Amino acid sequence: MNLKELYQEIILDHGKNPRNLGKFDNFNKDAKGHNPLCGDKVHLFLKLDENKKVNDISFEGEGCAISMASASIMTDLMKGKSEKDAKEIIEKFLDMIKEKDDIDTKLLEEDEKTKLMSLGGVKNYPMRVKCATLSWHALSSALEDFQKEVTTE
Amino acid sequence: MKIENIKKEFPIFNNKVQNNDLVYLDSANSSQKPLVVVDRIYDFYTKEFSNVGRSVHYLAVAATNLYENTRSAVQKYINAKHKNEIVFTKGATEAINLVANTFGQKYLKEGDEILLTELEHHSNYVPWHYLRKNKGIKINFAEIDEHGDISLEDIEKQITNRTKIIAITHLSNVTGAILPIKEITELAHSKGIPVLVDGCQSAPHMKMNMQDLDCDFYAISCHKMYGPTGLGVLYAKKKWLDDLPPYQGGGGMINEVKKDDISFGELPNKFEAGTMATAQVIAFNESINFLNKIGVENLVKHENDLLNYGEELLRKNNSVKLIGNPRKKGAVLSFTIDGIHPHDIATILDEDGVAIRAGHHCCQILHDKLGLTASARASLGVYNSKDDLDKLNESINNCKKIFNK
Repeated sequence: MNLKELYQEIILDHGKNPRNLGKFDNFNKDAKGHNPLCGDKVHLFLKLDENKKVNDISFEGEGCAISMASASIMTDLMKGKSEKDAKEIIEKFLDMIKEKDDIDTKLLEEDEKTKLMSLGGVKNYPMRVKCATLSWHALSSALEDFQKEVTTE
Repeated sequence: MKIENIKKEFPIFNNKVQNNDLVYLDSANSSQKPLVVVDRIYDFYTKEFSNVGRSVHYLAVAATNLYENTRSAVQKYINAKHKNEIVFTKGATEAINLVANTFGQKYLKEGDEILLTELEHHSNYVPWHYLRKNKGIKINFAEIDEHGDISLEDIEKQITNRTKIIAITHLSNVTGAILPIKEITELAHSKGIPVLVDGCQSAPHMKMNMQDLDCDFYAISCHKMYGPTGLGVLYAKKKWLDDLPPYQGGGGMINEVKKDDISFGELPNKFEAGTMATAQVIAFNESINFLNKIGVENLVKHENDLLNYGEELLRKNNSVKLIGNPRKKGAVLSFTIDGIHPHDIATILDEDGVAIRAGHHCCQILHDKLGLTASARASLGVYNSKDDLDKLNESINNCKKIFNK
């Protein structure tokens, strides 16, 4: 997929209707991410239940279409996942967007993988990879209870 | 040399970029190189190479002469009084660091003030920041007006009796504002304050006349001037170069080296320590030649026509907002589009072969002031045409379509 197609797809789907946008009340983990180059900012909110499953997840943010769409897609597919699975999905997504051809995990449905693969269009643009991975790094940091704002710079 | 045919002189335009004809609108970042400059580098390395200024063999003497010829060509091009007022550096950034460092070392002490403007590129802010850290210097900023412009009065307002140097851009790389350097220098000198001018954006686009501007220091970036990367010029009045201490120590800049003391060489060697960017300096003579063949008056007229044409196009384009409307403007069209992030604009334009820059263009202070995290910028060079601007506008329209704007 070329980048123009990528834009057409993600903007139609997530640009107009970002999922899980806005803070919710009873989150028990959160983390901020910042991409100084683009000025992209994301604040991720997460509620893990007693079984360490993602009960709810949302984000606040501003930035380019790729970073916002990525946050939207990510929060959508993380709901209901265990902490352990979430970590694996993050790792496999980051592998894909940096170098691998596919997302090597059984934890996602095919259509979910297809959506994530569409973000892989930025692969050859290191500056834009930072946009696509910002919310993922923030989620990783929220799960680790890492207190510092993550940056993709 | 006719400007209409000038694209032919630049080999980059013979090739497709990602299957597109290249529409290069990022010259404020760096300009493309004419073949004569590329060839000169090749010829020097393949037929004439030697280090300059040291050995007495034939090639060394010839290389030294070529190197010094560029110094003379630059002196002439910018109308400096003495050849030795031209110092080669690794870039305009180093030129400014050289002044901040040596002037700061000799003349600045705690509580002294430096006056910059909100338009400055990071290269004319960060070097001064070190003095703030190390010496307790205060940095003041002349504020932009609503047009993204700075007037003589804006500068005057910020001068205090502790202002020890004024460092300002000649042409803003974001708003395109051309500052009244001659008037600012006159005012500064009447108060005994020296002036450093960041000429990165002006030197490729305007007639240069150091003796008329009368500024004390002027920094030039050669790679923005159809020249090689890794090279800059510091123009400084001879009295300063005689007066200021050396910036870096090493070979070539010394007179006598003893175990207990060292004496430094004469100008211009004093500020050119180590083996310099020799091939680049020699090739830069061809860039100057190239500019001379076009004629700076023709260049100015061509780029002004393009700028007016581009401004008109973008003004008519709904939802495109131009940044800056200064009294005198040069060679850049910065803009935003409501609801589309500049990096998205740049990526989509790139798919159409239109190369622009997006970001804060190393001017974060200015973007903060404008309330923006980033902007998109199309900047002009001698090889651009109205066609290029039409393509820019078309591609912006594509972008708006994708985003339903």
